[in-house]
Amino acid sequence: MSVRPVTDRDSAEWWERVARHEFVVQRCDSCGTLRFPARAYCHRCRTRRWHWQPIGPTGRVESWIVSHQPFLAGVTEPYVVVTVRLADAPECVMYGNWDRREPPVTGQSVRAVFTVVDEELSLINWRPLE
Amino acid sequence: MRGFRDRTAVAGVGYTRLSKNSGVSTLTLACEAVLAALEDAGLTADDVDGIATHRVGDSAAPSVVGPALGIHRPSWYLDQFGGGSVSHAVVGQAALAVAAGMAETVVCYRAINARSEFRMGGTGRGLPPGPEVQYQAPYGYFAPPQQYAMFARAHMARYGTRPEHFGRLAVTQRANAVKNPRALMRVPITLDDYFDSRWIAEPFRLLDCCLETDGACALVITRADRARDLRRPPVLISAAAWGGGDSFMSGGGADTTVTAAAELAPRLYRQAGVGPAEIDVAEIYDCFTYSVIVQLEDYGFCAKGEGGPYVASGATGPGGELPVNTHGGFLSEGYVHGVNHIAEAVSQLRGDAGDRQVDGAEVALSTAQPGYILPATSALILRKG
Ligand SMILES: [Zn+2]
Repeated sequence: MSVRPVTDRDSAEWWERVARHEFVVQRCDSCGTLRFPARAYCHRCRTRRWHWQPIGPTGRVESWIVSHQPFLAGVTEPYVVVTVRLADAPECVMYGNWDRREPPVTGQSVRAVFTVVDEELSLINWRPLE
Repeated sequence: MRGFRDRTAVAGVGYTRLSKNSGVSTLTLACEAVLAALEDAGLTADDVDGIATHRVGDSAAPSVVGPALGIHRPSWYLDQFGGGSVSHAVVGQAALAVAAGMAETVVCYRAINARSEFRMGGTGRGLPPGPEVQYQAPYGYFAPPQQYAMFARAHMARYGTRPEHFGRLAVTQRANAVKNPRALMRVPITLDDYFDSRWIAEPFRLLDCCLETDGACALVITRADRARDLRRPPVLISAAAWGGGDSFMSGGGADTTVTAAAELAPRLYRQAGVGPAEIDVAEIYDCFTYSVIVQLEDYGFCAKGEGGPYVASGATGPGGELPVNTHGGFLSEGYVHGVNHIAEAVSQLRGDAGDRQVDGAEVALSTAQPGYILPATSALILRKG
């Protein structure tokens, strides 16, 4: 894909960690709630002390599509996008491309793979959990 | 809620021609639709003291449309950011302003060059703003048909909703559009045509998707007692509700097969003093086929998960228990971002819908985008005056 993420002041450090192949979400220091995407306040207890929490890079396919229409300039081949609900943080979902030729199945267990774009950017993609 | 119910009315509707290339600015479209709606009501721009729209940075603002029509000092205006989820909230807020006496005659419009200038699916222009885009766009995931396809697949997996259900909906709405002189697509289609149409984003084919459209539609909102003295039969605003839903940020709901409409519907019906059984006709936001199916469930017309079979039973077609999108909807009339659904409901309740008129229509539901993508929705219940 040709689109780089436009990060913001909440998210920049998360993307830096992905570039180092760390699989993290935020964990609230007060109530322990895991959250993603990155933002300052815990939505549950409304406090703002937190730390990056490494979690298992696994989840389940919540849904998936095969995109055919060339919405992006220069991308003409169909590709699969998956929505994954994280095993260790079931309130959190992440997106990614599918790293296998065989299409996914809704509910399937999956594992994250880091795809290096360049030194500053990696993306999280998904493949079946073997 | 007695203070709001039936105190305001839609007194006029106006359209421009719907097309794939209007050849004019959104300002021109807005002015044309507003003047047509005022003419329909038997009013002029000199009567207008409120002006409202919704847009996503793609269209002329009230602060431009007002002066362009010589409406220099409106006592109330609204420039609502948002897509289809706020279309009905704009009318609800206009009705509130009128009911509260802040304005007497409000025009609500949506002017859009969604094919020739600003395509909602991107296809060339920059990506939309929003904090979630950075987590999706790098994977080639950002266009509404992709996002809706994702939600539709979850519903299919959970409830057994099938492509045939989507196809039946598209075929039924096209049959309605055949009877609508305004509609962009008036050639009937079959289920085979549906299955033969090309993939956009599986599970969606081309015929699951709304028409990218240039055009405008406007409504005149005023007090119910005043509307009775105007040119057209008034259509009363019995209920208007809007509210939030869940975003993809953690902490929201985890079930994407249920929309914000499920939470909103009981409030809406309570406000109007009716239930789903009293709705004679429904103009339901159909950016994609699945959008209608999930809303039929969440507005209580069938059990959760039964939206597909409900459509396949013929219930939403002409003569069915709940005629839906009698104008053809976004799938076949054209995409005016929700306002043309309200305008069609008004037409049905006035009894001037011609060949597509639902006999004895007295109460109508019209709904907005049900809360996917932008986590909010809105809806109106209208009643023959
Ligand atoms: Zn907390």
